[in-house]
Amino acid sequence: MNDMRLIDRAVDMKDIKIAARDVQVYYGDNHAIKDVNVDIADKTVTAFIGPSGCGKSTFLRSLNRMNDTIDICRVEGNILLDGEDIYDKQVDPVQLRAKVGMVFQKPNPFPKSIYDNVAYGPRIHGLAKNKADLDEIVEKALRRGAIWDEVKDRLDKPGTGLSGGQQQRLCIARAVATEPEVLLMDEPCSALDPIATAQVEELIDELRENYSVVIVTHSMQQAARVSQKTAFFHLGNLVEYGETGQIFTNPVDPRTESYITGRIG
Amino acid sequence: MPILWLICAVLIIAAIGFVIGRTRAISSGQGDIRNLHSLPSYYGWNVALKSMVPAFFVLIVWLIAQPLIISSVVSSNLPETAIPEGSSAGLIMSEVQRTSNGVSAAVISGDLDSAVLADSAADLSAVTEALKNAGQIVTTELTQPIWDAALSYRSMSNAGTTAMWVVVIALAIAGAVWGLRQTNADFRARNTVETSIRYMLIAAASIAILTTVGIVLSLVFNTIEFFRLYPITHFFFGTEWAPSFSGRGGSSELGILPLLWGTLYISVVALAVAVPIGLFAAIYLSEYASKSVRSVAKPLLEVLAGIPTIVYGLFALLTVGPLLVSVFGEGGYLGVDWQGGGRAVMTAGIVMGIMLIPFVSSLSDDIINAVPQSLRDGSYGLGATQSETIKQVVLPAALPGIVGAVLLAASRAIGETMIVVLGAGAAARLSLNPFEAMTTVTAKIVSQLTGDSDFSSPEALVAFALGMTLFILTLGLNIFALYIVNKYREQYD
Ligand SMILES: Nc1ncnc2c1ncn2[C@@H]1O[C@H](COP(=O)(O)OP(=O)(O)OP(=O)(O)O)[C@@H](O)[C@H]1O
Ligand SMILES: [Mg+2]
Repeated sequence: MNDMRLIDRAVDMKDIKIAARDVQVYYGDNHAIKDVNVDIADKTVTAFIGPSGCGKSTFLRSLNRMNDTIDICRVEGNILLDGEDIYDKQVDPVQLRAKVGMVFQKPNPFPKSIYDNVAYGPRIHGLAKNKADLDEIVEKALRRGAIWDEVKDRLDKPGTGLSGGQQQRLCIARAVATEPEVLLMDEPCSALDPIATAQVEELIDELRENYSVVIVTHSMQQAARVSQKTAFFHLGNLVEYGETGQIFTNPVDPRTESYITGRIG
Repeated sequence: MPILWLICAVLIIAAIGFVIGRTRAISSGQGDIRNLHSLPSYYGWNVALKSMVPAFFVLIVWLIAQPLIISSVVSSNLPETAIPEGSSAGLIMSEVQRTSNGVSAAVISGDLDSAVLADSAADLSAVTEALKNAGQIVTTELTQPIWDAALSYRSMSNAGTTAMWVVVIALAIAGAVWGLRQTNADFRARNTVETSIRYMLIAAASIAILTTVGIVLSLVFNTIEFFRLYPITHFFFGTEWAPSFSGRGGSSELGILPLLWGTLYISVVALAVAVPIGLFAAIYLSEYASKSVRSVAKPLLEVLAGIPTIVYGLFALLTVGPLLVSVFGEGGYLGVDWQGGGRAVMTAGIVMGIMLIPFVSSLSDDIINAVPQSLRDGSYGLGATQSETIKQVVLPAALPGIVGAVLLAASRAIGETMIVVLGAGAAARLSLNPFEAMTTVTAKIVSQLTGDSDFSSPEALVAFALGMTLFILTLGLNIFALYIVNKYREQYD
């Protein structure tokens, strides 16, 4: 079984899940993303790094059209998911977001119980046949979010009553429960202690077997640990994109080198 | 006018105190404000507050107490015989006060020679004539006891006012001196001023609360008075409302149930109209409408809230009532004969509902807008549609606020009067048919107190009992709203 997967993976590595072509994002007059071209591979973890305000979140949100909810935001260029333009008029953003899930930079649990938070996506998309099925999905998602042990006795308590780090893991579990093909994670470990961080990183590694994961992080170590590909953004430009090993050991662009050695940002 | 001058005098003393205090503080710091505990203006304020606050406090108390005390002294000196048959001590005292004030004004305008004031045996008909010429309202011919009482009232008032001037100004000066003596470099003026500001704020809050308490107490006492004249069980459990105005005591039936039923029935109809429409309008405006639609529609909706309720009443009477009759009345489109006349529970309820729409929608709109965008993002990010997001995330998060808005609307519906008077009629009736005329508690309060009413008869006092019931009803509703809001807040914050 495991061997089979390894072979699969070697083949799939070449598949491109998301392709961005000449993407520009504007907030009103503010040109936040400039001419970004990037190919995000399937079954791979891609890390976005860069100084604060360089547009990582903005670009990530344009990958599942979350920017549609911001009035002043405008996206130009093409973003292809499995070869289809997601900004095409035919595409339903709701369907798209079911396939391209997202964990936000700030934890945002719904004002519902912990159980209902996780069951939200599966219920909407009809992923569970019956209650037992749903229970199982919820438990599995909470385990993958590394929070099961902490909440298993209080599943009916409000999700908003958890600590910041617990909320962050709840949101990860919530996103995983919907079984997206691509998972976009915006600084998922920013409020986590080293143990929970390690568990989330383990989850990311596990998700890689089936999904494509894009993670924004401010931790160079984390990017180096979990990702296979790394993209470095600076002032809205994609400065450098390549194998994680190469970016961290042998960056081409001097700005990348300055950033990862701690001189800018 | 003299009181205004007194206020000015105190303010001037305080202003002078402020300047002196400030200067003194600077000089006590050897001209360098860094040596002072507080900024110099705090020392000035300390002096000004110490001179103003006690002086004004005494002034207010004096102004309230003096007429009361003098009246009671004068009226206790009035001989029994001075009170004619069919009148009361209160009426005579107001006559005395009018005369006294009239005399003062007439003396100033020169219509009355001040010599007559010293003369208790003055020619009263001449005085009455002079007062009438001076344009003072003196109802009847002055009598000797009233004239005597008016003179003593006047002299006591004058003495009291003079004493008030002296005391208030002395207090202002004493306060200023006290403040100035405190002023030196180490005095913690900033803290003192801070404390006094806190007390002033507390005083403002207390006035608001005490007024409420006063209103409630007046309701309570009059209600108790009513229940002495009319059995309490008949009031609360009587199913008939038939006041008699002929004054044949004891023949009135004053049961609140038909009125309460009308109030609740009309309010329920109104809420059934206002809540769905208002809430859906709010959801459309806050979640779906584009900026340009919103910027036009929201103010338009709020114009509805600015229409006086009497206009809604006219609308009910002239438009909605006949319209309903043409549908539900005899020979109407439906061929049923449910509605006899334009005035009906439905008419008033629908129009009241229309009145409440902007109320519900603008409150709900604010509440829905306050739900953080990040919650919506979270839901969209999981592939939820807009209506799923609204139904499952936004509305539950906004629910406590929306419940509060609905209960506030209910309070308004219960308290509404004009629409009911014009739209629902004046017949108190216990009936289930919403197309029949009924009336409400508020409408009956109005009709019991309009016209010649004798405020000691149960027919008039019942208004207080009705008002008290209404007050308790809305109070209960508000407490319930608070409870709901808190319960959900506990759960979701
Ligand atoms: N909703 C918005 N409206 C207007 N401008 C925005 C909005 N969100 C982001 N921006 C602007 O876009 C630029 C990129 O912001 P973005 O949030 O993508 O940065 P980031 O790289 O994620 O930063 P951080 O690491 O601090 O999260 C910034 O200049 C920011 O001011
Ligand atoms: Mg960000």
